[in-house]
Amino acid sequence: MNQENSLEAEEKVILDDIASRLKVFGRERGELIPILQMIQERHAYIVEDAIKMTAEHLGIAICETYGVATFYNQFRFHPPGKNQIKVCLGTACHVRGGDIILENFERKLEIRDGETTPDREFSIERVVCVGCCALAPVAIVNETVQGHMAPSKVEGLILGFKIEKEKAEREKQKSEPAQ
Amino acid sequence: MSPLNNETVQKAFGVIRDEAKRRRDAFREEPVPKIQIGMATCGIASGALETKNAFEEVLAERKIEAHIRTVGCIGHCYAEPVVIMDHPESGFPPIFYHNVTPGKAKMLAKSFLEEGDPLFEHVLGAMEENDLVPQVLDFPRFNQEKRVVLEKCGRVDPEDIYEYIADGGYETLAKILQLAPNEIIEEVQKSGLRGRGGAGFPTGRKWDLARNADGQHKTVICNADEGDPGAYMDRTLLESNPHQVLEGMAICAYAVGAQKAIVYVRAEYPLAVKIVTKAIGQARELGLLGEGVLGSSFDLEIDVFQGSGAFVCGEETALIQSIEGNRGMPRHRPPYPVQQGLGGQPTVINNVKTLASIPPIIEHGATWFRAIGTEKSPGTAIFSVVGNIVHAGLVEIPMGVTLRTLIFDICGGVPNKKKFKAVQIGGPSGGCLPEDFLDTPIDFDSLIQAGAMMGSGGMVVMDEDTCMVDVSRYFLDFTQKESCGKCTFCRIGTHHLLNTLERITKGEGRDGDLEQLETLSEDIKDGSLCGLGKTAPNPVLTSLRYFRDEYEAHVKERRCPARMCRTLTAFYIDLDKCARGCDACVGSCPVEAIFTTKDRKKGVDQSLCVKCGECMVACPAEYDAVMKVSPPDLAPIIEQAVDD
Amino acid sequence: MAKLLVDNKEIEAKEGISLLQACLDNGIYIPNLCHIHGTDNPSASCRLCFVEIEGEDKPIPSCTVKAKDGIIVKTDTPSVRRLQCTAFKLLMSVHRVDCGHCPANKKCELQRIAKFLKVGLKPKYLELHLKETEVDESNPFLDYYPNRCVLCGKCIAVCKDKHGRAFLTFAKRGLDAVVSSYGEKDVSNLPCGKCLACIGICPVGAITSKDSPHQTA
Repeated sequence: MNQENSLEAEEKVILDDIASRLKVFGRERGELIPILQMIQERHAYIVEDAIKMTAEHLGIAICETYGVATFYNQFRFHPPGKNQIKVCLGTACHVRGGDIILENFERKLEIRDGETTPDREFSIERVVCVGCCALAPVAIVNETVQGHMAPSKVEGLILGFKIEKEKAEREKQKSEPAQ
Repeated sequence: MSPLNNETVQKAFGVIRDEAKRRRDAFREEPVPKIQIGMATCGIASGALETKNAFEEVLAERKIEAHIRTVGCIGHCYAEPVVIMDHPESGFPPIFYHNVTPGKAKMLAKSFLEEGDPLFEHVLGAMEENDLVPQVLDFPRFNQEKRVVLEKCGRVDPEDIYEYIADGGYETLAKILQLAPNEIIEEVQKSGLRGRGGAGFPTGRKWDLARNADGQHKTVICNADEGDPGAYMDRTLLESNPHQVLEGMAICAYAVGAQKAIVYVRAEYPLAVKIVTKAIGQARELGLLGEGVLGSSFDLEIDVFQGSGAFVCGEETALIQSIEGNRGMPRHRPPYPVQQGLGGQPTVINNVKTLASIPPIIEHGATWFRAIGTEKSPGTAIFSVVGNIVHAGLVEIPMGVTLRTLIFDICGGVPNKKKFKAVQIGGPSGGCLPEDFLDTPIDFDSLIQAGAMMGSGGMVVMDEDTCMVDVSRYFLDFTQKESCGKCTFCRIGTHHLLNTLERITKGEGRDGDLEQLETLSEDIKDGSLCGLGKTAPNPVLTSLRYFRDEYEAHVKERRCPARMCRTLTAFYIDLDKCARGCDACVGSCPVEAIFTTKDRKKGVDQSLCVKCGECMVACPAEYDAVMKVSPPDLAPIIEQAVDD
Repeated sequence: MAKLLVDNKEIEAKEGISLLQACLDNGIYIPNLCHIHGTDNPSASCRLCFVEIEGEDKPIPSCTVKAKDGIIVKTDTPSVRRLQCTAFKLLMSVHRVDCGHCPANKKCELQRIAKFLKVGLKPKYLELHLKETEVDESNPFLDYYPNRCVLCGKCIAVCKDKHGRAFLTFAKRGLDAVVSSYGEKDVSNLPCGKCLACIGICPVGAITSKDSPHQTA
């Protein structure tokens, strides 16, 4: 299967899920942001067709739904990586070198903030203050807050994931006898 | 309200309170040691979860009988994970331990709980007066605080409503249900409480306006859209003691005549969302919310709405827009939300801290509250003091305490023997104050006079290594990204301010830049539609006022005096200090910019160096050979050994 | 009727209308872009229609105040002009000035304001910042030029007013904000062919009609 096909199949699963979830929500305009949040939370991004489905559910214009979704930082329109890295750039983190941490992630993974690696393993995002200022600089890796970050720690974290992945692959190979 | 009704409320609440007290006493009287762990977001980020697991493991392993209890945050973030161990049998008072790693946890369980040795080297202090261990209350970080809003934070389990009630919670709600609404508003007005969201509008007056506004479906909104990058007290409060906020909301709703209330929390605060949602459920179950609160005729439903990440939604009209499912763009005021808010109905929007101040005010009375703080700013202020500071964390102090006392006495000053340079107060809307202003009392009016503002209470302390131009650039980068784009001044003006500041920090400043920054800032201030735009230039204006020489050094000499702007600095290794054969810096460099010289010393390849400063940290203190200079051409050229 | 004094001239206005409308009705021009005749909710977003009102310490956008009896207004004080000039220059710093190729040439509000304020169309000191997309052709009937648009929002308001729902909206945020008709591709559903009110109300030339739109339908 090529990558495009698999993406398409993936989107179909997502849309089916959204369709079944939408039934729980009312049809008032005030449900718009909660619905978008539900989609984002379950699927980590907002598929293009989901905007249309949401608009139809609430009986509002597609473009208006899009206008609202693009206003808020929370909503993403591309699938993120399996490992999501968020680098905090709140004031305290900035003063303590948060941008250097961000740069290190960018350099190690060879992507910029807002992007996903081609193998969809990692994505980097900058966030503004997660409220752990006393631990600055901070990065959030898969919902786990990593305090007192340093460039060397960046390397360690990424290395950790790569080792995990290799280990998992080896296990997989072991359990699936060679064909 | 009829006397009959009063009796019903009294009785209904009495049953709940008795149950709460019964539970507390049962827990207290159980003859086993108690381990209390702080588990708010920052505690968890520091490893509180691992610490808790370690305690559980060691208790099970060694069959030690003890209770583990999780509480919220007490605000001492520098000391996280924080553990309080109460082991009455040992003869010691409850003891406060700091930075309790899993290893330390296991050690403590063994030595203290099994052998009765509290391990003095890890003790921060005792929780009560005694002859054996110095009390935490003897330390300035503790005894100069005045806890009104945060009083119960870190003391009660936020996920157990009975703990709050046993600690006196919801007593005030039961009391006010027996009063007339205007009596409550009068008391709040008398207290002089001003909105803690930053602007300082008198809360009682807001309530009065809402009470007298026409409308059948009034709403109370708790604004916890804490967007200021560097402030997190609203989050802590919701995570550590959600019921005090809910109680404040209920009192407000009763006073203004609302039956609906919403807690508006940032989606970036998942734990706060979870805990508040749970708290609402528990309160409803006990009849403290819902139809006929405590058997009275007052109905109240509270919902949680998650903000989707837009700083501007902290502005009242934008916040309402987002709840209604629109783009969070502020609109012109008047009409104010107290007249026409959510769904066109009167809406009171109060900050988390404002609402949490209400139960203590009603409980102890307006006169008590007025005795705290200053005449025009009664009560306490909560700051998150972070940045280059020894004892970072949340501090609640009476208004009127000076910046110097807060930063140096309470929070321990600047670490690493660095010099204090400035304190940034009020986040992107506030300003940077230099040393000369350290004796400014902290209250709404004095801070505005100095050029900063209370804002949401974020306070970032900066040492001599912080560049003020870069800090301004940082804030403008923030506001520019968060501008909703509606009005001309904020949308385009902040972009030009940022653009100019970016050039200056890169050493591309031009003559006339500073004057243009000033005039454009003034125009953005006067011309913008909402508070975001009107205050966005404050960081630039205050730093230009107090640190103009730094700007000038950047523009005229291409030099960053704090050696922070990376384009204007360079690292090099002092060959006289560098130790032959030492490789400490080589491994630390993320870009392999460090090479070996002919005499097996080290040099920095300036074309590769990203100026992260890791080598400076890695270089052993006895050599201290890595130098940082600005402008970058001060770095000597060092030759690499040529391979034969 | 309210009687008010504007630039030392007594004018009469219907009680309840905006000060801006009252001035415009009486032949007193105040620069403006986002004002729509007869609306109760001013958008107050273009920040051009500043005036000084006696008793207020700072200039106020005249669209946000009502024409009240007895108020004394000045439309041409130095501080008013300063704010207007800055707002105008800011708008022009993100505007592609290419009047020769613009359908709004000679009837463009920006040209009118420049002439009125006696400032050039190309601002000095402010670096030009243009959006990457020069034209958005995704709509079957309309083309949209982000670098001409002043984001006054009148097209969105008029669309909503005519059709009960908007086929246009603001999208994105801050400096990236644009007017968008995202997803509105269903030609049978779009009233644009017979309407084009958005083009009519646009103070600049940001929206144009596609050539012979009926054939594509």
